[in-house]
Amino acid sequence: MANSNLPRRIIKETQRLLSEPAPGISASPSEDNMRYFNVMILGPTQSPYEGGVFKLELFLPEEYPMAAPKVRFLTKIYHPNIDKLGRICLDILKDKWSPALQIRTVLLSIQALLSAPNPDDPLSENIAKHWKTNEAEAVETAKEWTRLYASGA
Amino acid sequence: MGSKVNDEHVSTVRSIVGTDYTDMDIIRSLHLANNDVTAAINILFDTPSFNRKDAPQMLSNPRVPSQNSQVDNRKPVLKRDDRSTDGPHVGSFDRERASVDCREGRDSTENDWWFVGCSEVAGLSTCKGRRVKAGDTLVFTFPLKKSSSSPSPGKFGRGRNLAACSEIVRFSTKEHGEIGRIPNEWARCLLPLVRDKKVKIEGSVKFAPDKLGIMDTVLLSMSVFINISMFHKQHHTSLKATISSADETVVHPLPNLFRLLGLIPFKKAEYTPSDLHTRKRPLDMKASSGLPAPLSSVNKNNNLSRSTDEVENDVVLSDSDVDKIVGVGASPELEEMEPPCTLQCELRPYQKQALHWMVQLEKGHCMDEAATTLHPCWEAYNLADKRSLVIYLNAFTGDATTEFPSTLEMARGGILADSMGLGKTIMTLALLLTHSGRGGLPGSESTYKLASESTNVSNALEQSTCQSKEMTKFLGNNQSVVRKNLLVNGGSLIVCPLTLIGQWKAEIETHAQPGSLSIYIHYGQSRSKDAIILTQNDVVITTYGILASEFSSENAEENGGLFSVRWFRVVLDEAHTIKSVKGQISLAAAALVAERRWCLTGTPIQNSLEDIYSLLRFLRMEPWGSWAWWNRLIQKPFEEGDQRGLKLVQSILKPIMLRRTKFSTDREGRPILILPPADVQVIYCELTEAERDFYEALFKKSKVKFDKFVEQGRVLHNYASILELLLRLRQCCDHPFLVMSRGDTQDFADLDKLAKRFLKGNKDALDKEGKQIVSKAYIEGVVEELRKGEQGECPICLEAFEDAVLTPCAHRLCRECLLACWRNSNSGMCPVCRKNITRQDLITVPAESRFQIDIEKNWVESSKVTVLLHELENLQSLGLKSIVFSQWTAFLDLLQIPLSRNKIPFARLDGSLSQQQRENVIRRFSEDSDVLVLLMSLKAGGVGINLTAASNAFVMDPWWNPAVEEQAVMRIHRIGQTMSVKIKRFIVKGTVEERMEAVQARKHKLISGALTDQEVRTARIEELKMLFT
Repeated sequence: MANSNLPRRIIKETQRLLSEPAPGISASPSEDNMRYFNVMILGPTQSPYEGGVFKLELFLPEEYPMAAPKVRFLTKIYHPNIDKLGRICLDILKDKWSPALQIRTVLLSIQALLSAPNPDDPLSENIAKHWKTNEAEAVETAKEWTRLYASGA
Repeated sequence: MGSKVNDEHVSTVRSIVGTDYTDMDIIRSLHLANNDVTAAINILFDTPSFNRKDAPQMLSNPRVPSQNSQVDNRKPVLKRDDRSTDGPHVGSFDRERASVDCREGRDSTENDWWFVGCSEVAGLSTCKGRRVKAGDTLVFTFPLKKSSSSPSPGKFGRGRNLAACSEIVRFSTKEHGEIGRIPNEWARCLLPLVRDKKVKIEGSVKFAPDKLGIMDTVLLSMSVFINISMFHKQHHTSLKATISSADETVVHPLPNLFRLLGLIPFKKAEYTPSDLHTRKRPLDMKASSGLPAPLSSVNKNNNLSRSTDEVENDVVLSDSDVDKIVGVGASPELEEMEPPCTLQCELRPYQKQALHWMVQLEKGHCMDEAATTLHPCWEAYNLADKRSLVIYLNAFTGDATTEFPSTLEMARGGILADSMGLGKTIMTLALLLTHSGRGGLPGSESTYKLASESTNVSNALEQSTCQSKEMTKFLGNNQSVVRKNLLVNGGSLIVCPLTLIGQWKAEIETHAQPGSLSIYIHYGQSRSKDAIILTQNDVVITTYGILASEFSSENAEENGGLFSVRWFRVVLDEAHTIKSVKGQISLAAAALVAERRWCLTGTPIQNSLEDIYSLLRFLRMEPWGSWAWWNRLIQKPFEEGDQRGLKLVQSILKPIMLRRTKFSTDREGRPILILPPADVQVIYCELTEAERDFYEALFKKSKVKFDKFVEQGRVLHNYASILELLLRLRQCCDHPFLVMSRGDTQDFADLDKLAKRFLKGNKDALDKEGKQIVSKAYIEGVVEELRKGEQGECPICLEAFEDAVLTPCAHRLCRECLLACWRNSNSGMCPVCRKNITRQDLITVPAESRFQIDIEKNWVESSKVTVLLHELENLQSLGLKSIVFSQWTAFLDLLQIPLSRNKIPFARLDGSLSQQQRENVIRRFSEDSDVLVLLMSLKAGGVGINLTAASNAFVMDPWWNPAVEEQAVMRIHRIGQTMSVKIKRFIVKGTVEERMEAVQARKHKLISGALTDQEVRTARIEELKMLFT
């Protein structure tokens, strides 16, 4: 369907994602829509998400690369910058998008966000509050959620 | 009516009526009285509409009981009726009867309502059984704006919709209420006028059947009155403004009303809207005339690629095209005038004619003529009202005025449009010497006083005519009078392109008797900021650049620059410089305050008819200085292929433009200027085998790209890229090195320069923002990468770079990709580092830089260069001078190598030189007998430069438009040339150059034949395809 008219840039990016994947990240296009990617990110080591496998979906809009890809966590995650619907608060996905960024760089940024939660720019108020008032407890919750929702399966 | 008013009559009338009337009034009255002095005086005294100076516009007599005024004013009316035998006229009987019929209505007339006329109108009864009798006064009801409902809309037929109802004008009597309605055509033109309170109507029943039945005819007598507010200046303008925005095809109610009233202009407009409506389609026109095509369509096309490759697409008209458009003035009849003895050179007869013509235009002699020539768009009507004799009505805009609209309302000066090489400079200098003075007297009051004092002295009359005319001009614009009073009076100002400053100065110094004219060059950073300096000299020379910059600076009037002076005369040399209507230069020129204005240009039209508009605006050739007016009457019709637009331009230009060409002849039919013959020859060169291989390789590569565009049907979208491809091919014909070094980006072709610029730019960035954006090492890496010719990929399209650019932050991207991600076309963020950058910051990366070679060391002559050298050596032995033209300065760079090696001394003139340097180069070339060759870029040699020292010209590469080549070559084939001139054009066989010749021929057709938009588009594609065969 829409795949017949795929821009060269998307094809190129896809080929590179498949042939030389970034460590801890896998992204593969859906068979019926080449603009839709199934993504898996491994929880970074030394983070509350270590050991978890997080599923995301990534969609390249018509205007890509002039517009940012749309990315969402499918796996439940306890993180101040990610809400319960899996939406991500990350500047490069919004106003700081640049066409010089790619799928790979976006996913790496998300991975980095897992390593370094930023409760000062929260998407999920409650979690951010939790993080700020009692970080140790919040981190525990995050680990708990990782175990509950992101372990294998 | 065509009789001219002469000065003798004016002075006679003036001696009787005294100073209360302006010359314009006197001229008008004479005009109306058919030059009968007594009648004219009567008209003046009897007619309040002739304004005293204290009441320029308005009726000034106190309220007079209307019955009396009717009697009082009989005389002029009779006079007018006497005259009615010599022209089309409303019968006086009708008029008399009408005035009787309408007397009742007149009683209620106030002073500011003027009776226009009366007519019998067949109204339709809308009632049944009512009785009205002749003489019953009627009240007319006009529907309010829009959908306001009126009673009983349905009675006249079900099909009628509400919109039509809102146009119904009904009449009623006091006793019976509604009687009927007036005919639609009357209603339509009355409605808008009555709504705006510009017109009112009164009426009575003239005849009606005893008992009215529906649809019965009721004969009405309707009198129409016009409010004098219609003639207020403010109104005038506001009206014009609304009209310009409104639909152009609207029929204006007032002219229509006049027609319905049966008023017939005693003087008809030359052009009327009905002319426009009967216009022929452009197709018919093409068949029937050889007039030039709508330049505009060519223009539209230009816009496609204007930003990218302006010069290449600029359609410059050749001399003959210009002639077709503006017409060559039939000048042999012009009188000659001897220049003053302070001019130390002989003028040719045609130059003396020009001097006479210019002096006359400045004196305003022609103005008298023009003042009595009715503007071609206005009609003159006699009103039935006894107080005013005449009103003027514009058939196009519906504007009405009591002021005589003449063709030359404000102008004093004109356009000297002799083609290049006829000596416009010297003619102007003769004018400067004949009359130089200081700007007008400080206040209009004193101007006026002076004018009136001198009236009795007959020999001063001419002058006073001018001055009082000046006064009317000032009065017409009260605001500016105040402003102008602050200005200091200056002499003559000459505005010219930078290249010509030196020439003007030199011409004045050599040809004017020492001490007769003092000169001041107003140029450079150190130029005077004191208006006094500007006014102390007879002649001030400045450039368009200075003019524009002083114009845009704050308080231009007070800060002592060009705008704080009221000039005696302003001369724009190469006046087509101001052609761009919205350009600062054009606005600046138009804003100068001056009494006399001149445009010198060999090409009054360069690209489009619009060019003329700017000139007329500068010249104050009212009303053509208003865009709405110009656009409606000239531009639009012209663009639509209506010849009338063009005709109108020609009729406007005729009195104010003098144009002769080299082919013009004098009274005896001899050419006005005899130049030695010019011989144009084309030298066809063959490429050497090595060159051919290189060319073919480049051609194939380019063709593949071009074919891709054709395949995608995106030829016109990629116009710029295609021109770029062609550019390479054309340069390759000159010398393959040009392609290797990418001559057009020569500044950065040298990578060391590039690196330097980067490091410098980076330092700036550091200073400003306090943090380092890109490291020095990074930039060095990038430059090194470029130097090695490493390909890399664009971070946006992930492909190999195509037309790569470098950002100031040293990021490399495809130009297209970068521009595509910017929201606006001129600036945005660097996609890589988010630094804000603008389009100007981008640096074109030298492509194929790995071919960069040391041209000195590896010098090889191209076949063209070989032929040129051979030619130059021949000329060297004869001691003849020549000019070598190329479009590319890079090619001039290359040519310097063999010239030096062959010991041929040369000079070089291109756009990079400062004014001083240019002058030096030209002087050296003209005076130093050793310097035989001048390398010149086609563009730098564009205007005005006189290079008659050379008798040979070599045009190394063909230009798209032959007119540009022609212009350059004219630098040597002009006045002062004593030797026969040889021009040689180089064309390489079997290349794009040869095919360009064919396109040149086509291009000529494009300009001179009418092609529609679509035709032009396809023609373009065809043209491009032709080049790639």
